[in-house]
Amino acid sequence: MKVSSARYLVGQGMKSIWRNRMMSFASFCIILVSLLMVGVSVLVTINLNRIISGIEEQSEASVIIKDDIGEQRRDELKNEIEKIGNVATVEFYSKDSAWENMKKDMSDEQQDLFRYADDNPLPDTFRLTVKDISLMGETSMQIEMLDDVDSVKSPTQFADVLVSIKNIMMIIMTAVIAALIVVCLIIISNTTRASVFARRKEINIMKYVGATNTFIRIPFFIEGMVVGIFAAGAALLLTKFAYEGVYNIFKNDMSLWSILGVDNLYPFAKMFVKVTVSYLIAGAFIGAIGTSISAGKHLKV
Amino acid sequence: MVEFKDVSVTYSSGVDALNKVNLKINDGDFAFVVGSSGAGKSTLIKLILKEIDATEGTVLVNGFNLSKLRRGKVPALRRTIGVVFQDFRLIPTMTVYENVAFVLRVIDAPAKYIRSRVPYVISLVGLQDKAKSYPTELSGGEQQRVALARALVNDPKLIIADEPTGNIDPALSYEIVDLLRSINECGTTVLMVTHEHDLVRYFGGRIININKGSIAFDEVIGGSNPNEG
Repeated sequence: MKVSSARYLVGQGMKSIWRNRMMSFASFCIILVSLLMVGVSVLVTINLNRIISGIEEQSEASVIIKDDIGEQRRDELKNEIEKIGNVATVEFYSKDSAWENMKKDMSDEQQDLFRYADDNPLPDTFRLTVKDISLMGETSMQIEMLDDVDSVKSPTQFADVLVSIKNIMMIIMTAVIAALIVVCLIIISNTTRASVFARRKEINIMKYVGATNTFIRIPFFIEGMVVGIFAAGAALLLTKFAYEGVYNIFKNDMSLWSILGVDNLYPFAKMFVKVTVSYLIAGAFIGAIGTSISAGKHLKV
Repeated sequence: MVEFKDVSVTYSSGVDALNKVNLKINDGDFAFVVGSSGAGKSTLIKLILKEIDATEGTVLVNGFNLSKLRRGKVPALRRTIGVVFQDFRLIPTMTVYENVAFVLRVIDAPAKYIRSRVPYVISLVGLQDKAKSYPTELSGGEQQRVALARALVNDPKLIIADEPTGNIDPALSYEIVDLLRSINECGTTVLMVTHEHDLVRYFGGRIININKGSIAFDEVIGGSNPNEG
């Protein structure tokens, strides 16, 4: 194809956006809404996942060790625990530190009750985090079998609930996103079909003068792609605006939400490039393919 | 050249549109195809343009055997044919110039050739002053001239005019046929479908009459036009 012809076809695609502006606007809106629905769902899923992972990371198990095992044995025990595959971090928490911290959390009246107590009733412990919270129960059992371990207190029930929530949420979100994608494709294909149907006469004339199917499709392809890219741009701005709004609400009330690990939300800036590229590719692809497939339905003359 | 050898067309509805038609139109011929509604005239044109396929027989058009022509080669066939429709079929969003130039763009003609050829063809049909007008700004006769310019611009071997005078004033009809005649004199084969018998009698020439899917009459008659030799 000659450069002049390519330029002509691109020009025709651009012109027909304006000529068929009502239909172009309809396609623009549909692609925009579709991208927003799918994009926001994906972002919510990513963040929920992150929040749950944050909660997972925060859930610690306490390994209570027997009294007076000596510093050497304690270090050996720490090494043995660290060797267990699912253990992420192990930190020694002495009975003295535990006692001091506990006293700090007490009110003055409560502290009075313990003022005359000489003995520290708390044990030495290791605090550990795990890589996979769903294996918490198994890991606890492995640790309990080690010598000089008195007991392990782990949030196994909580871990189970968390894992169930995460699994259910993933299934629901995957189903929602898949359904949204299907609905969006159907709506887009119908909108572009209406747009192409309005120009079937034009396509018919092109066929009679000997235009190849590719020649007919290219302007539609370009038109759809450009509309898709504009819709992606608008979707990006709206997503950024909405996301940052929600993000700031959570950030400004850290005390409440940090308990749930909400401070783990991704800032939009961190995802900007990925979201932009995804929106642009999806918008251009949906627009271009949707329009040229619909155009193809009128090519059999 | 157009040649039909024992061509029959039966539509899926069971209607026999053409029945064992044999027809030959040589290069440089001018022929009127006449017949009542439903006689098979449109089917004849659809076959030549390979819009439909013959149920039986062979159709040869400008060196293409349409029975064996693959879908991908149909554009190549259509580039050797110029078509003028009763309803003009101009693209309303394009100017006269663009409507005509469009055909050359479709065949990937060089920009320089388009710039010289299009104004020339527009002047041949006498619309040089209307090149920048849109179809909706033109009369029926003018729109049909644009359609004729569009059919001509690619220098086709064959022009098919399907009821080209059906939507214009009777007085202007003679002008359109005159134009087609002059195009034919330059060597282009012209096949004009019409049911306006006055027009046919006036111009005379080869008349192909189709009746109930068969050729009822195919002869050359003299016209009453004093300018016709």
